[in-house]
Amino acid sequence: MPIAFEKVNYIYAPKTPFQYEALKCIDLAIELNKITAIIGPTGSGKSTLVQHLNALLVPTDGTVYILDRELSSNQKNKDLKSLRQRVGLVFQFPEYQLFEETILKDVMFGPLNFKMTEEDARQKSMTALTMVGLDESFYERSPLDISGGQKRRVAIAGILAINPDVLVLDEPTAGLDPQGAKSMMELFVELNRKYKKTILIVTHDMDHVLNYCDNVVVMKKGEVITHQQVNDFFFKGDTVKEIEMALPQRLRVVESLREKGFKLDSKISNLKDLANAIKKEISHE
Amino acid sequence: MNNIALGRYLPLDSIVHKMDPRYKLVAMLVLMVAIFFPSGYIGYAIIGSFVLFSLLLAKLNIKMILRAMKPMLFMLVFLTFVNTLVLRTGYVLIDLFGFKVYSDAIFQTLYITIRLLLMIMVTTILTASTKPLDLTLAIEDLFSPLKRFGFPAHEIAMMISIALRFIPTLIDETNRIMKAQASRGVDLKEGTFKEKIMAILSLIVPLFVSSFQRAEELADAMEARGYIPSAKRTRYKQLKHTMKDWVMMFCVICVLGSVIWISL
Ligand SMILES: Nc1ncnc2c1ncn2[C@@H]1O[C@H](COP(=O)(O)OP(=O)(O)OP(=O)(O)O)[C@@H](O)[C@H]1O
Ligand SMILES: [Mg+2]
Repeated sequence: MPIAFEKVNYIYAPKTPFQYEALKCIDLAIELNKITAIIGPTGSGKSTLVQHLNALLVPTDGTVYILDRELSSNQKNKDLKSLRQRVGLVFQFPEYQLFEETILKDVMFGPLNFKMTEEDARQKSMTALTMVGLDESFYERSPLDISGGQKRRVAIAGILAINPDVLVLDEPTAGLDPQGAKSMMELFVELNRKYKKTILIVTHDMDHVLNYCDNVVVMKKGEVITHQQVNDFFFKGDTVKEIEMALPQRLRVVESLREKGFKLDSKISNLKDLANAIKKEISHE
Repeated sequence: MNNIALGRYLPLDSIVHKMDPRYKLVAMLVLMVAIFFPSGYIGYAIIGSFVLFSLLLAKLNIKMILRAMKPMLFMLVFLTFVNTLVLRTGYVLIDLFGFKVYSDAIFQTLYITIRLLLMIMVTTILTASTKPLDLTLAIEDLFSPLKRFGFPAHEIAMMISIALRFIPTLIDETNRIMKAQASRGVDLKEGTFKEKIMAILSLIVPLFVSSFQRAEELADAMEARGYIPSAKRTRYKQLKHTMKDWVMMFCVICVLGSVIWISL
């Protein structure tokens, strides 16, 4: 079953002076078993969009199809809990949701809510904590007095332990050190490749989009302006230039080499090809 | 969370919005006093027409006020019920199979309803047309004569304004944590008693943690910028009164005067 948005509008605080139309007529189909990046400037509606995926927000108009569910405002949306078990959402700044006495208990909170047995929940939680790079020494510590980056990891583990089919992450790497961000992204790739999870990542980091994602959705002012495969997006056509976002480092290198007179094809997608092309250029001189 | 219309500032462009908050605050107090005078229906007609007029001037919607009254509906129904049972004076208005409803019961209830409505309208006009921060400035100004006797007017105003400033933040925060926990399977509506307790804990603990953290950060930031409560300070925003404030004050006092005169 697909994940799709059909003519979805979302209005915050409707019928008040604070009314704000955050999503405008979104039509979008997300491929299953792929990693999809959602990018766009601040305030473009990315977080609003992803909150529809586990029915934290229900469209003001239009319909969201997710797995075998259908969500719209003109029907009773019942039993959202079973949907939320299958679609895990990690919020932007999830470190504020920790509350238990120990980290292990906090990670187990989700699984227990979804009626896993105590033993099963413990097992899943330990696995999840290992995945995000927190070892046994953390299990009994309080989640309230660890560093911000560690809190972020605990929060992500809290969703991973639920073992959802679809994993939605709202800026999971913001504020992590580059190495930490890299291993986090590699974890998501592994979850996708090994366990066939569908993954959506909201991010501002174009390098992550280029290096780890399959598809990319670009949002602007509440609308989806493109939805393409990552390679097409960066290396075919000019959409990537039109959206006024910083290019990934690799493409910036090619750009500056070209400016300095290197004869490089600006659409080289592969690192190896790029290295070869540079080598060829240098040996020519 | 969106139905907290009562007491919320509405950024409109009206003459009432531009008035001096000090005058508005005093006017509200005067009107409150007027409402509490037992001036009968004529008195309420006078106050009511003045308040309605101000409501229009402030470009506020009467529907919004009625919506704010909604939570009080239950109380009013209860009041009607008790009044019809207890008050047995006046003439018989309705005879329900031998159960007599007396006129005083109905009028008394109506009277209280109007009084409540007026009070809500007056406060709503004030809070909807005045930014919370302006209101605290007004409070500080009005209390500043008491500074001489050691009354901490500035500190109190600062505390109120910080509290007001953080109400929307706290509401946002609550919403966000609720959503985050809902993603982890928290269901505030269903579940056993124990699960509900857990659900509430999962909301309150993070809220407290972030509030304390925020308070500490704010205190540090203020200290870092050299904030000393007792220091003499100037203000960027100067409150100014103009002709319209005097006109309003005059009208309000006329209203109070006539109400007193009627109830004598
Ligand atoms: N609870 C809310 N009430 C009213 N308006 C809101 C609310 N949440 C978001 N908005 C508005 O909706 C718009 C989209 O917000 P959203 O959080 O989806 O943006 P975003 O793309 O995730 O931005 P960022 O990259 O900063 O996270 C913003 O303009 C914001 O002001
Ligand atoms: Mg966001």
